[in-house]
Amino acid sequence: MYRYDEFDAALVNERVSQFRGQVARRIEGSLPEDEFKPLRLQNGVYLQMHAYMLRVAIPYGQLGSAQLRRLAEISEKYDRGYGHFTTRQNIQFNWVELKDIPDVLQDLADVEMHAIQTSGNCIRNVTSDHFAGATADELMDPRPWCEIIRQWSTFHPEFAFLPRKFKIAVTAAAHDRAAIRVHDIGLHMKQQDGTTGFEVHVGGGQGRTPVIAAKVNDFVPESEILDYLEAVMRVYNRFGRRDNKYKARIKILVSETGAEEFSRLVDAEYAAQSAHEKIDLPGDEIERITAYFKGPKLPTRPLESTAFNDARVADPDFDEWAAVNLHPHKQAGYTSVTVSLKPIGGLAGDATTDQMMVIADLAEAFGHDDIRVSHAQNIVLPHIAIDDLHAIYQQLQRAGLATANESLITDMIVCPGLDYCNLANARSIPVGQDIQKVFADPAYQRDIGKLHINISGCINACGHHHVGHIGILGVDRKGQEFYQISLGGRADEKAAIGEIAGKALSQEEIPAAIKQIIETYRSHRTSKDERFIDTLERIGHAPFKEAIYAAD
Amino acid sequence: MTSVRPKLKPEAPKAITAWDTQTGQTVWMTPDGSWSVKSGDLGIFVGDVAEAKLSEARGQESKVTDPYFMEVTEDGAICGRETLRENIRSNGPTVAYGKAGQALSSTLGK
Repeated sequence: MYRYDEFDAALVNERVSQFRGQVARRIEGSLPEDEFKPLRLQNGVYLQMHAYMLRVAIPYGQLGSAQLRRLAEISEKYDRGYGHFTTRQNIQFNWVELKDIPDVLQDLADVEMHAIQTSGNCIRNVTSDHFAGATADELMDPRPWCEIIRQWSTFHPEFAFLPRKFKIAVTAAAHDRAAIRVHDIGLHMKQQDGTTGFEVHVGGGQGRTPVIAAKVNDFVPESEILDYLEAVMRVYNRFGRRDNKYKARIKILVSETGAEEFSRLVDAEYAAQSAHEKIDLPGDEIERITAYFKGPKLPTRPLESTAFNDARVADPDFDEWAAVNLHPHKQAGYTSVTVSLKPIGGLAGDATTDQMMVIADLAEAFGHDDIRVSHAQNIVLPHIAIDDLHAIYQQLQRAGLATANESLITDMIVCPGLDYCNLANARSIPVGQDIQKVFADPAYQRDIGKLHINISGCINACGHHHVGHIGILGVDRKGQEFYQISLGGRADEKAAIGEIAGKALSQEEIPAAIKQIIETYRSHRTSKDERFIDTLERIGHAPFKEAIYAAD
Repeated sequence: MTSVRPKLKPEAPKAITAWDTQTGQTVWMTPDGSWSVKSGDLGIFVGDVAEAKLSEARGQESKVTDPYFMEVTEDGAICGRETLRENIRSNGPTVAYGKAGQALSSTLGK
């Protein structure tokens, strides 16, 4: 993984020192909230329902054991013994006191972490495939380019005050696990005539105006990508609306301009860049960054593991977990493990201090010190020897981390909702918990197969409800919580925005409605191999809508 | 950004709530104009007095952040359209979290 050089370390430490002074002035009264707010947001500090919330950056979702341990220590020392992993592959602490935040940031800086680019109208934390560098289905490792883009964007003077926040995602796998088409810029790494480059998608996003990104360039060679991104950003910075925050995201500009015209504007801006403006990243610099991501040298192992196979026979729960929570690794004898943060009746994405410590220890002992946060709010150990799986499973089980539900119906993306968030209209967490209880039976979940339910507590869509196969949106009806179901969304390479099924339902009605949807799917699928989303796309939405509202 | 807060009529009874600047805790103005972390201690204000108290609160930048009116009954109970939100602010999340949340989920899972 990337390690700070002296410039990174100096930059982060100076930032902590600067913010320490700002917090001191805020507390002693010389800095009013109106002036302090943009400064705290630039350091990841929000004021939520109950307390300040600190959002810590986990660039492209990658952590080392020492970093996760530090996050665990922070959760215990400054918070209430847990942290919340987010759909942006970051972590949030919900109960920190403002006076402590400079110390928290210093503790983070000491392990090469920070809260920069986690809020405000800047280019945010670059996100990526949580299996990057390990998965068998990727063309190459996207993380070096995530890091290069991270370095290019951090404190970029031209893009510090954009019309609105800006999110970039990068993948290099055919199957998109990074939801690139619902990002402001989505980059899909490709190779063309022996040259590495990027297919560029612009103007995707969720929120109150969900849009699938438009492909604006089939192939930009890696040597030109930063200049091309700079051209996109300049067009956005110049023409993006600043008069209405609800129309300020680049998706509105691309929609109003038209993808073709937007692409022309970018090309014109790119062509107008003078030679001295060109970034011209030297090849040896790309190689230097790439070297950080070479990954562990994994000893050769046989494809089959007798120990693993025997353990599966002897331990049915382990067998269940192994059937669900493993992802194919590029090297024989290894696998990537998803540590589910979605226990039945739990809080999606939350991990306690002790759980974070356990994961850090496992990564150190078995996982080459590599930990990932997925945008689905789970943790991934990307390089695990199949021989070691049973030992890992047993420790996860003791820590309450062995739920066998990766990508199954109970593995929901759920935003914090009205239980924590100042923006929310309705609670999300209890709705998710109620649904989980209906589908708690592991055999039933496996029978249903891969299915994504995403829940947001308001139209800002932090729970990605627009791209859930089943989306649930909390709405306020005269002070009462109601929930709108949408069907057919997806965040992968066939990205689509879900369609609202009908009138909103009460919280009590939602689990039964989801059950009706699932039973409709089970009765219409051609076989168990036909996934929910495939059945839905084959037969259309009508049977599902009828099932939801049959009782009316 | 915070959610849009409803405008309350001048004659409606109101409390004033905010966040403690140093800790971020939710606080309520008491009848004597001091601040309490317990919503049960809130003062009930009406009309010009309420406006004056809110103005006073806004002047206490180092003590409290973002004060606003909260709708209450004449007895001081949270009421109106924001009842659920204000009850959650007052009582905390409606779900068990941290170790308590983990303990609860472990009884529901396998």
